Amino acid sequence: MSVRPAGDFKTSYVQDMAILDTRLYRLGFAMLVAGLLLAPWWAGRFIFLLNTIGIYAVGACGLGLLTGFTGQISLGHAAFMAIGAYSSAFLSQALRFPFLIALPVTSLITFLFGVVVGLPSLRIKGLYLAIATLAFQFLTEYALIHATGGIGSTTVPPIVIGGWTVRTDRQFYYIVLVVWLAAGAFAANLVRSRIGLAFMAVRDRDYAAQVLGLDLLYYKALAFGIAAGYAGIAGSLWAHYNRLITTEQFNIGASIDYVAMIVIGGLTSAWGPHLGSAFVWSLSQGLQIFTPAVLAVFPAFGKIATPLREIVFGVTLIALLIWEPGGLAMLLRKLKRKLDLWPFAY
Amino acid sequence: MSEFLLSGLLNGLAVGSIYALIALGFALLYKSTKILNLAHGELVLFGGYLAIALTRAVPFPVAVVLTLLAAAVLGFTVERVIMRPLFGQPLLSVIIVTLALGYVVRGLMVGIWGGSTRNFPQVLPGGIVRVAGIPIQPAGVYSAVTAACLLLGFWLFFRYSLVGIAMRAAANDQLTASTLGVSLRRVFAYAWAFASIAGAVGGILLGLWLGVNFALGFVGLKALAAVILGGLDSIPGAILGGVTIGIIETIAGGYIDANIIYGFKDITAFVVILLVLLVRPYGLFGTEHVERL
Repeated sequence: MSVRPAGDFKTSYVQDMAILDTRLYRLGFAMLVAGLLLAPWWAGRFIFLLNTIGIYAVGACGLGLLTGFTGQISLGHAAFMAIGAYSSAFLSQALRFPFLIALPVTSLITFLFGVVVGLPSLRIKGLYLAIATLAFQFLTEYALIHATGGIGSTTVPPIVIGGWTVRTDRQFYYIVLVVWLAAGAFAANLVRSRIGLAFMAVRDRDYAAQVLGLDLLYYKALAFGIAAGYAGIAGSLWAHYNRLITTEQFNIGASIDYVAMIVIGGLTSAWGPHLGSAFVWSLSQGLQIFTPAVLAVFPAFGKIATPLREIVFGVTLIALLIWEPGGLAMLLRKLKRKLDLWPFAY
Repeated sequence: MSEFLLSGLLNGLAVGSIYALIALGFALLYKSTKILNLAHGELVLFGGYLAIALTRAVPFPVAVVLTLLAAAVLGFTVERVIMRPLFGQPLLSVIIVTLALGYVVRGLMVGIWGGSTRNFPQVLPGGIVRVAGIPIQPAGVYSAVTAACLLLGFWLFFRYSLVGIAMRAAANDQLTASTLGVSLRRVFAYAWAFASIAGAVGGILLGLWLGVNFALGFVGLKALAAVILGGLDSIPGAILGGVTIGIIETIAGGYIDANIIYGFKDITAFVVILLVLLVRPYGLFGTEHVERL
């Protein structure tokens, strides 16, 4: 039920398949990209927030493909991110791989891990699968803690591209932005390709898809692999951005945050993961700024500053999802419809 | 060696019975409402913290009764205020809402009672009890007995009371039950209240044993593991899963921790689950879906 302006007829399949299908969308997207390109000038010291949003949006994009489009719930996404971060660290620290090679190699490694983890999904389904991935999360965490020799952190060298060393948040932002746009564009294109259609068929009814001739094992494993590949890229970026990684950063909480992000953003939308990541991180950052302000006015709250943030975060999520269970993407779509038709109801 | 095994078995049984109780609440809620409650660990926390706070004002038994009442009220409130508007919405959205609920409950607990470990005043006789010559903490014995009684009580309730039968009917087939006059709303409300009560009892028992702090919320994940092991929609499965995980964790975890590698105890449960799921994808007793087109 898309709403489009009068006189906008589609006369070719190319037009029908277009992701940005009206002039308004194309203009809006161009302005969004321009705004993001100029972000170092308007974001000021909050550029780190955009970096975080971008990195997590890349990871969430992968989970969106897996959960939203292929229907496989995963509670182990942060484990893939951890594998990505640590292998990236290993590649660039011990083997001295340049970043431009380490990134794809990392992605390939996590892709393979994803395929292996995805294999049981042929037999284990739904929430049982979610728990199996949760087990994978704990096992990975455990293995990494023991492989890195306890609770210490691992240092990662900065990114060097052809003699240019990335040092500041602003420089790093452009690397994140390029990867972010590429990852988002790849996901948006994937879901309208043959593979994406197969994913959706698997999500809607896997046996029916199999009867129609889809190789279930191939597509489920592929979905897990792609999701893990995305998480690996996110992990690699995260490692090079923070320069100091610990297993704590990729614990079960991070995995659940990923699921929260894609649900908040909107499960079956190409925009969902990006909106979700932006919402979650902006909210938590906003609360970090807001809480001291409240404390300055009411010093009595001093003891409960940290829990207060947790409470407000939880309440916001609950309110948002009760208001619109389809997430932000659905909310925006409804808003657009309302604006299009205003002042009439339909 | 045999002494080690036997003591592991007994202690594991004691912990396992508490896990079973918590897992029961979990499975109950899933069975009647199809909601995976990620806030279950926080409900356990709630029970533990509230009971400790109340024991400062009133005698222990009264505190327990008050805590259970509060837990029931919390369950009813959650169902009425948060879950009812989400009735029939996509499953994942609802699960994420329970996660957010967990944040809120935990935030409130920590905000009110602080982050450090709290202990119950001495309400149980101290010292070490010997069962068949094996030393075991009295709290463990009491926990096992209480959990067993409660499990029996829950079983009788589902077998004979009208509400219990309605809840089983709804669990079997929501639509049919609703057509035959079972009020789904009431069933859901009761399911939340019972889940919350089972969690709170688990919190009190674990609190008597180990004291109450943040880490207690982690037990929610253990219960989840137990439920999956037994089969998500099977209440006997949840009980058996809880006991099994308690025993395996104590024996295997204790043995490997002490002799091979450290820190394995907390993930044994998940290794077992992974193995079981590969053989039986619906857990030990879960309903097997015969899929057809």
